[in-house]
Amino acid sequence: MAVDVTNENAALAAINADYEQRYGFRDAENYLYKAPKGLNREIVEKISEFKSEPQWMREFRLKALEHFMSRPQPTWGSPMLQEIDYDDIHYFVRASEKPGRSWDDVPEDVKKTFDRLGIPEAERKFLAGVGAQYESEVVYHQVREDLEKQGVIFVDMDSGLREHEDIVREHFATVIPPNDNKLAALNSAVWSGGSFVYVPEGVHVEMPLQAYFRINTENMGQFERTLIIAEPGSYVHYVEGCTAPTYSSNSLHSAVVELIAKPGARIRYTTVQNWSTNVFNLVTKRAVAQEDATVEWVDCNLGSRLTMKYPSVYLMGERAHGEILSIAFAGKGQHQDAGGKIIHAAPNTTSNIFAKSISKDGGRGSYRGLLEIAKGAHGARSKVVCDALLLDEHSRSDTYPTIRIGEDDVNVGHEATVSRVGEDQLFYLMSHGIPEDEASKLIVNGFIEPITKELPMEYAVEMNRLIELQMEGSIG
Amino acid sequence: MPVIIDVCPVDELGPGEMRLVEWEDLEIGVFNCGGNLYAIEDRCSHDNGPLAEGEFDPDSCTVECPRHGSLFDLKTGQPKTLPAYVPVETYPVIIQDQTIKLEVE
Repeated sequence: MAVDVTNENAALAAINADYEQRYGFRDAENYLYKAPKGLNREIVEKISEFKSEPQWMREFRLKALEHFMSRPQPTWGSPMLQEIDYDDIHYFVRASEKPGRSWDDVPEDVKKTFDRLGIPEAERKFLAGVGAQYESEVVYHQVREDLEKQGVIFVDMDSGLREHEDIVREHFATVIPPNDNKLAALNSAVWSGGSFVYVPEGVHVEMPLQAYFRINTENMGQFERTLIIAEPGSYVHYVEGCTAPTYSSNSLHSAVVELIAKPGARIRYTTVQNWSTNVFNLVTKRAVAQEDATVEWVDCNLGSRLTMKYPSVYLMGERAHGEILSIAFAGKGQHQDAGGKIIHAAPNTTSNIFAKSISKDGGRGSYRGLLEIAKGAHGARSKVVCDALLLDEHSRSDTYPTIRIGEDDVNVGHEATVSRVGEDQLFYLMSHGIPEDEASKLIVNGFIEPITKELPMEYAVEMNRLIELQMEGSIG
Repeated sequence: MPVIIDVCPVDELGPGEMRLVEWEDLEIGVFNCGGNLYAIEDRCSHDNGPLAEGEFDPDSCTVECPRHGSLFDLKTGQPKTLPAYVPVETYPVIIQDQTIKLEVE
């Protein structure tokens, strides 16, 4: 029996088909403050003034602004980068006075948004703490009382700086300095919101902490800044999600995320990125793992127009372990340039990078990765696997792996595959009585399953649902 | 075999100042941190770019790489922030006959 592949393509046509209905709604703008478009010294000073920041942070921002202004736009990655007009963006929008500790403190229309996105419900069911950021600032923040009693800090970054200035000053920008790259400089100049997480020695936060980021305004720039510090022997799992309404003009999301896992600590950081397809998502994420520590990035990219994001782990102490699990789904008009970097800077360190990309309807998925084993990192072991699945002939997949090895007694493996959902796979499943659209879904779900199984159950269900939605729609 | 090279007269490198010197194919930055002198190789260990002409903070005795922002401790050559993680070369500074000198190999 021959399979009609045009039907298969039809079944795969509707990436995020219900995005508009589920996430694409927009609220009226009842803001306390909305900066005019464009970036200059006055805007940066105003942000710092609004937040009543210490002088050192104000100077840090202004210095970062100079770096941002003086650096050229990167020319690698994606030609789409040239579409960004930095003068056509609102760099700061304030929706509420201060973060509420109860949903009743949150402005009514903003609360409705998060209700609609299911955040308060998720908090009740399975989270240890929640932060909800709307535009530039966090509007709601809460952490379970028992964790607070154990000394766990989970607040928005603005409050973190205000209430725990010494800890913040000691660690802030030590993992990602402001002039690391142009977008990190931009974030350092105008950062607002994000999370500050501090887990004391030996404390295990068993349920995830979640942050949810929402952009509502057109031509908005969201620049959250997150710093997670896990003291020796502690454990924390942080999950972030994000959505925005669909506009015809572009928005920019440029976060900086720094993780510090001290000896024997473990941090897992999970992202389900589902921005609307007018958002440029240019994020710098980097972690340090000290002796016997573990850092895991689970990075799922479904939305945005362009994502450029390569979470990295610097394995600085002996026997540290790094893990990067990445899924990228590129549909019509999208470019997902994702991947990861691991630097083995100490002996007997271990790492894995597993990256999966799916491209359809002319979308482009790229894997860009770095594996570096420094001189002196004897006995390091690493495995890099990147697989790409192309769902039609118009889509594109690229792989840019870089491997640098400075020692002889190490073990490094690299595997890469590119495949198509083929007639034979569909034929096999259909010959067992499975309808064609179900067969396509099964193939895609099977492809990403090694990564979705690492997500907490609720998110795995959500990821599978999103993928299924993207595969559904127009058959028949 | 170590070699001693001249940098400059002591009074030409005041506190908070930096002087670049060349020796063979090496460039070395000599820094005055509040009266104490330190010398590091003018090459960031992250991507081999020039380092010594970055922002010098005499109070914390650090220099910031102008390219990607790693902060180096001038006393030890150790990076205090990423993305650099390998220390840069340091050189002993000697004062002889009112002249600042370096010991290089």
